[in-house]
Amino acid sequence: MKRALEKLERAGRFAENTALVVLLGTMIVVAVFQIVNRQLLGSMFAMPWADELVRFIVLWLAMVGSIAACRDNKHIRIDAITHVLSGTVVTWIKIVVDVFAAVVCAVIGWQAFRLVREEVSWGDYVMGDVPLWLAHAVVPLAFFLICYQFLVRVLKLAYSIFRPEAGEASA
Amino acid sequence: MIIVSLLLVLLAILGAPLFAIIATSAMVGFHNNDIELMTMALELMSIANTPVLTAIPLFTFAGYVLSESNAPQRLVRLTNALFGWMPGGLALVCLAACAFFTAFTGASGVTIIALGAILYPALKQDGYGDRFNLGLVTSSGSLGLLFAPSLPLILYGVVADVSIDDLFRAGILPGLVMLVMLGGYSIWVNRHNRRPMGAFSIREVGAALREAIWELPLPIVVLGGIYSGFFAVSEAAAITALYVFVVEVMINREIPLRELPRIVRDSMVLVGGILMILGVSLASTYYMIDTEVPQKLLGMVADLVSSPLSFLVLLLIFLLILGAILDIFSAIMLVVPLILPIAANFGVNEVHLGIVFLAAMQLGYLTPPVGLNLFIASYRFEKPIMHVYSATFPFLVILMLSVILITFWPDLSLVFL
Repeated sequence: MKRALEKLERAGRFAENTALVVLLGTMIVVAVFQIVNRQLLGSMFAMPWADELVRFIVLWLAMVGSIAACRDNKHIRIDAITHVLSGTVVTWIKIVVDVFAAVVCAVIGWQAFRLVREEVSWGDYVMGDVPLWLAHAVVPLAFFLICYQFLVRVLKLAYSIFRPEAGEASA
Repeated sequence: MIIVSLLLVLLAILGAPLFAIIATSAMVGFHNNDIELMTMALELMSIANTPVLTAIPLFTFAGYVLSESNAPQRLVRLTNALFGWMPGGLALVCLAACAFFTAFTGASGVTIIALGAILYPALKQDGYGDRFNLGLVTSSGSLGLLFAPSLPLILYGVVADVSIDDLFRAGILPGLVMLVMLGGYSIWVNRHNRRPMGAFSIREVGAALREAIWELPLPIVVLGGIYSGFFAVSEAAAITALYVFVVEVMINREIPLRELPRIVRDSMVLVGGILMILGVSLASTYYMIDTEVPQKLLGMVADLVSSPLSFLVLLLIFLLILGAILDIFSAIMLVVPLILPIAANFGVNEVHLGIVFLAAMQLGYLTPPVGLNLFIASYRFEKPIMHVYSATFPFLVILMLSVILITFWPDLSLVFL
């Protein structure tokens, strides 16, 4: 069980890194080429999709980056309490706030899913021939994954309370 | 509603992720006012509708690559060759190099880690007192926030819908005021431990320039391009990202390719954290505008103050408290939409408001209990946090004076517009 979870963890991390590198790389190349095309090549290439692509990459980077931030426990929080208190109390507090965050993400994910489902029926397209709902589908997906990440951390924290010797290295 | 708000404040203090707090308050507001909950998703997706946001991942990535390379060492050597011979020279070097580096790396705390590690031991070796060094390095870590192309400036432009070029121009003099005041204080404090003045060596300047030859075009192209209006901000960001990648990874080869996914991840984790808060703040702003919260706030403020001057006093007190609780990014996204209409009502220019806002929030990096720089410095230099508090305090006072000056002297910000 533990081995399977570790494997999943590594696979998830690898998937996030790959997605981030590909997205950021594409963004840099397209954005710079647009400038070269306009300033030096006299707009030789027509790239009507480029502006939209770069803008959507920002959304995708934000979402994938958010998943990664959750895995690395780097979401912005006021973390004063951990400097004041210590011991099991802190772990319990962490469990409470992470359960809260998981619930919030589930709600947002569900609302985003509803919106995307509606967009399917609109039949709008972006960047020429990409359905709008597909470009937006990353949002519900990301929130469900973030919700899952918070739940995994809650389980790890709970585990560390009842089995202290196991430690909470990654939580 | 009040119970929900109190509960959310409690959860925030206990350390719940801020995006979840803001999202909840927005969604509860939607629910109570019969606004469709899908609006939350719609506002999040509108991240893709704001062209200038592309600058944020690009500059952040460039900043992380720079701080992982040896560029910080080269920057310190060059600044030292230029200013090191003056009295209090190394302290001035510290201020100038940190300000420059922070502007380019977006004020995320990396300055203390990248530059402090070089400057802190160097200051000690040069005979400066330990308390002074700790305070100087800690407070330098957020200096430069007001110079282009810092992320908080860009973010304020996006949130307040103000020209980012104007903000970049407006930040120059206030940023310099902060530098000069801290520099003056550093020289004054060290007036008794005189050392023989170092010699200015044109040869060392040449050597330092040669070493940094590949990085030299960067500020010229980026700052020149932006200030002259040749590049839009997002274009400058794209060029910076590509250029930094080519120089540090391919030409200087200081970052092995296998390290790149980690650096991309680290930088995009920050971007994800910021943009997530931006997304949910858009939703919360939508709700607050819809229910006319700014107007109600304005009514309350108008009862308290009558003149622009007293408004600025109130604003400053508010921002200093805010900065002690919230980080600069969250504060911009959450609070600016609320105070913008109020400030406009009192005739405060929105560009000036931005500079005041950021300058005051910069103090937040240094104010106990939650100032980010205090923790980073305590962690990085292995000093007790109380020790860092007290070492930073005189610098905090100087910065506070400069913020007061910036607040009540609007022309300082607006002269280049």
